[in-house]
Amino acid sequence: MKSALVVILIFLIFLWYLSFSATRLDRLHHRVETSWANLDGLLQRRAAIALEIARSEIADPASSLLLTAAAYQAREARVEDRSQAESGLSGALGLLLSDSEFTSSNADKTLLTELSLLTDKIRIAIALHVDAVTSTHNVRSKVIFRLFRLAGRAPLPVTYEFEADVL
Amino acid sequence: MLTKKLRIGIVCPYSWDTPGGVQAHIRDLAEFLIASGHSVSVLSPAIDEDVLPSYVVSAGKPISIPYNGAVARVLFGPIAFTRVRQWISQGNFDLLHLHEPAIPSLSLLACWAAEGPLVGTFHAAAKKQKIIFAIGPILEPAIEKLNARIAVSEAARSTLTEHLETDAVVIPNGIYAKRYAGGRPQAKWQGNTIGFIGRFEEPRKGLSVLLEALPIIARFAPDVKVFVAGPGDPDEIKKNIDAQLLPRFEFLGRISEEDKADFMASVAIYVAPNTGGESFGIILAEALAGGATVVASDIPAFDSLLGNGEYGALFESENPTELAKVVIELFRDRDKREALATAGKVHAQNFDWEVVAQQIFSIYEMSIVGSNGVSLATEHRSWNRLLSREIDRE
Repeated sequence: MKSALVVILIFLIFLWYLSFSATRLDRLHHRVETSWANLDGLLQRRAAIALEIARSEIADPASSLLLTAAAYQAREARVEDRSQAESGLSGALGLLLSDSEFTSSNADKTLLTELSLLTDKIRIAIALHVDAVTSTHNVRSKVIFRLFRLAGRAPLPVTYEFEADVL
Repeated sequence: MLTKKLRIGIVCPYSWDTPGGVQAHIRDLAEFLIASGHSVSVLSPAIDEDVLPSYVVSAGKPISIPYNGAVARVLFGPIAFTRVRQWISQGNFDLLHLHEPAIPSLSLLACWAAEGPLVGTFHAAAKKQKIIFAIGPILEPAIEKLNARIAVSEAARSTLTEHLETDAVVIPNGIYAKRYAGGRPQAKWQGNTIGFIGRFEEPRKGLSVLLEALPIIARFAPDVKVFVAGPGDPDEIKKNIDAQLLPRFEFLGRISEEDKADFMASVAIYVAPNTGGESFGIILAEALAGGATVVASDIPAFDSLLGNGEYGALFESENPTELAKVVIELFRDRDKREALATAGKVHAQNFDWEVVAQQIFSIYEMSIVGSNGVSLATEHRSWNRLLSREIDRE
């Protein structure tokens, strides 16, 4: 009788632990989604600014063409190509900004400060996202999560190789 | 540019009325955010609940426990946990900012109890401790709830990565650089003078290293004077000083913020001989902002704050001879001294609250994307309803 009670108790604790773990993983998935939404928003804004720069006097016709193409590619890339497309945009922006010190008008300057503020934010957003993805991967690789399929049908978050994306 | 007005809850792990770096950081941050139009509530342990600023909510009296080689005044336990849950459910916060969520205190409790946008700041820098293997599995589920982690220095960041295998964004501690920049040089502190500020009784502040270096310095600069400011009993220290050198010392006791600015603007050299246990070194940032030439031990926190010697001179930690050498050289070379002070003053602007708070706020903005604010974690909601019903009945 007593041992039956103990078994039931252990079973209940185990059930609680499973539900606790499932909640934990659910939160992590949520965190990944949030950090991605945030990063995605910032990157969209960067593409918009890039287009604006392409249309401004900062860019000569050739770089303008390059920048416009890169910005559209970044905007329309599918998730799995996103990282590469964004790196392309970073490259195009970097190319232009490396010799943009002699830009004149104030409007252009505000555009460039906006871009550099945004770049700082993107760097942090990337760090936050990569961190969320890594935590999720770590937790999902644990035995108990795999054994009881606590992740359900949620897709494994993709690691984006944004670390190389230094502007 | 702090446009969107938020309701921010900040949790302080240590007793509000004991002086400390974390408390000072939270106070300045809270006041800066309030001045920018946000509404802020700080939950903290407090010994005396009557003298708290209006934005601080007491969670009860702290318990003293030995932690990380010092006594920490923290708070935990079932009553504290209930208070934390009440504060969260009544606060209606957009975001919680938890300080030191890895130590056993209110922040960890809040991290357990809350759900929604959470930001954590890690202050401490410590060598790898074995105990973490025992508590790691308990901490992990809580720490991974944080949407963003901030470390106040590279030292704090590596502590975090070593202990909990998670990364953090480095945002330095803030200072009000303008307050220090306004210091007026005072004749009484000028000349061949050395300044030191801190709780000089604590061995890790390294006053003894300076004491040992002084005989050598005095041989080359006979008119050297040392000014020691900070709380503590100078008599104990004076016993260990050579009678001949005693007149070279002056103990100023605790000094006000204005005096501190004047002090930094006056002394020829500010010395920080700390032997360790320092994560950021806010006093060095203040010294630089006040225009002092800084000489500091080469512990990791100071080394990175001073840009490997670019903004202040470094000496090998716990080596009095090295310290003496650096000080004498700077006494002799006025140009080098001024060049370091000028470079340091410019560098110190990076630690100004205007800059630092903006960085912290962009972390806030990133964490609240697409959220409906902070609520009690699902597993605690029913608990809380039950408990609060009991409390109502009382």
